[in-house]
Amino acid sequence: MTAENILLTTSVGSFGKPDYLQKARNGHARGRVSDAQLIELERKATAEWIRTQEDIGLDILVDGEMYRGDMVAYFADLLDGYTEGGLVRSYGNRYYHKPVISGKLARPKPMTVEWFQYAQSLTQKPVKGMLTGPYTMLDWSYNEAYSTRREAALALAEVVRQEAEDLDRAGAQYIQIDEPAIHARPEELEIAIEAMGIVTQNLKAKTISHICYGDFAAIYPGILDLPVDQLDLAMANYEYRWLDLMDRNPFTKEMAIGIVDVHTHELESVAEAADGIRKGLKYVSADKLLPHPDCGLKTRPVEESIAKCKIVVEAAKVVRTEVAKKKAVPA
Amino acid sequence: MRTTVIGAFPKVSDQPGGQELRQALHKQDRGELKDAELDRVHDAVTANAINELEAAGIDVINDGQIRWDDLLAPFATAWSGVHRGALERFYDNNTYFRQPTIDGPISSDGTTLVKAFAYAQSVATHELKAAVAGPITFATLAIDTHYRSLEDRVLAVADAIAADVKGLGAAGATLVDVEDPGLVYAPQHIELAREAYRRIAATGVPIAIQPYFFPADRILETLASFPVAQIGIDVRSRETTALRRLDIFKGKTVVLGVVDARNTRLETASELGAIVDDALKLVPSESLWLAPTTGLEYLPHDVATKKLAALAEAARGGVPA
Repeated sequence: MTAENILLTTSVGSFGKPDYLQKARNGHARGRVSDAQLIELERKATAEWIRTQEDIGLDILVDGEMYRGDMVAYFADLLDGYTEGGLVRSYGNRYYHKPVISGKLARPKPMTVEWFQYAQSLTQKPVKGMLTGPYTMLDWSYNEAYSTRREAALALAEVVRQEAEDLDRAGAQYIQIDEPAIHARPEELEIAIEAMGIVTQNLKAKTISHICYGDFAAIYPGILDLPVDQLDLAMANYEYRWLDLMDRNPFTKEMAIGIVDVHTHELESVAEAADGIRKGLKYVSADKLLPHPDCGLKTRPVEESIAKCKIVVEAAKVVRTEVAKKKAVPA
Repeated sequence: MRTTVIGAFPKVSDQPGGQELRQALHKQDRGELKDAELDRVHDAVTANAINELEAAGIDVINDGQIRWDDLLAPFATAWSGVHRGALERFYDNNTYFRQPTIDGPISSDGTTLVKAFAYAQSVATHELKAAVAGPITFATLAIDTHYRSLEDRVLAVADAIAADVKGLGAAGATLVDVEDPGLVYAPQHIELAREAYRRIAATGVPIAIQPYFFPADRILETLASFPVAQIGIDVRSRETTALRRLDIFKGKTVVLGVVDARNTRLETASELGAIVDDALKLVPSESLWLAPTTGLEYLPHDVATKKLAALAEAARGGVPA
């Protein structure tokens, strides 16, 4: 273990879209911007975010999801068996098109592989493959087609598996399969675990699942059976209280730990964020702890996204130095 | 047999002009819209919601809760001793609320919803009911650094709710929904809830307990003994034995949740007819109201409209309008 490979910094997946892309997306929705024009701008924004992440000093990068609106609707649009639903509110003044499972699910072609390959071609650092997990796909869709939720979750697992294996073959070192809805119905945790098992069973890549905004206590320690290598958890928003659960039932995976809140304009201090990392180190060793923002940053303007990530990187530097000093002192 | 709605109505629609409120709130966020102008938009969208509910033939309507950011927001904003905190998921929905944070004694001056109710009264032509958040829901979802126990917190919240219910009663409300999904999410607090509801009912304003999202099976008999005018029971969205046990609600109005407000699949007339037939074996028709299972805001606007039509048709005995 060296100071370079401990407390690797990363982010959850999405970043704020630059104004020119947001305008182009609006124009595209009104038929004023062509598919080709939009894709060109999405590629431009992706390249900018890769460069920005490198400049900030993040270790494990993401493509920033410049080509996605919502994490479920993006995939639903590309899968057979889904139809687009109308707008529903998520919180405050945020809305999304909640999709409808209206027929037998199938994946006609890869959905993220080209974007992964493009983003990875722009950097020597690893870029994560980013997918939405089958349980969250189910829970954030209306289900009109399958008679039980388990049946629908397993059908979704099959299409997500196909995509994950394509990312694996394309060389992704990390594949993140997000399950932020996994605690929506704690009694269905077994379904989510069964579905994730289908997705990750054949993967060589390191697997990650992001979980946020819900009653984590209701699924802990059962969530440790989720067949992924790393759990990626929102912690700052919860003042790190979920860590207390690990006093009784030790955490057994790698942990990506959220150390800045993504739903406030206010910026945490580096000292506050560093303290969050120190809290995590009580439960997970530095080579298995990855500091990052609590959640995707798409709801923040570009400048705030950058500022929040810089705090993560600076906080990790502070704590890396502390850890290295401790190592240097003979016991 | 009458029809009613529960909770919030969709604030926007995919139709042209259907996103006035969304655009206004964006402008306000950027500092480009004055509060008075936003107030005008809130009024206009509220009037639209009321008009739609009435046009669908709903007998007892509400104001669609267009001004409510989430179920707890109006109260966490207006009451003293509490403020709105971090985002949190609202039960098993992909919908989020700001957690109330209690840092002092809670109290309400009773006017939290009076102005909005008065506006709705000025627009509505059908019977209009009001709504408040439930004591168990508010108290169990809040972060509390002030009260020493859940009991103290629940009863303080109940007193503040009672003040608001009294205020609504003075403003002319003849029925107030108390929306309390926490009651069925955490049924272990049912005896604590009894005292909370005794305090709210003591205002003399008729209230309807509206628990939703989860089956009420474990607390059905206890709920039936609460001193309230109406009980809402979802018999549609999840497995439940409640439909076979409705006779325990003698002397109360049963507000039966029959159209699923959290799934787009439309109920058929025969499905709804079968539920209503079963209910009528145990509840006299004058004590049976039909409703969606929860707020229609969990559906896109166009589907909410179709669900309202299905509801009204079910109450007419399957005869289309």
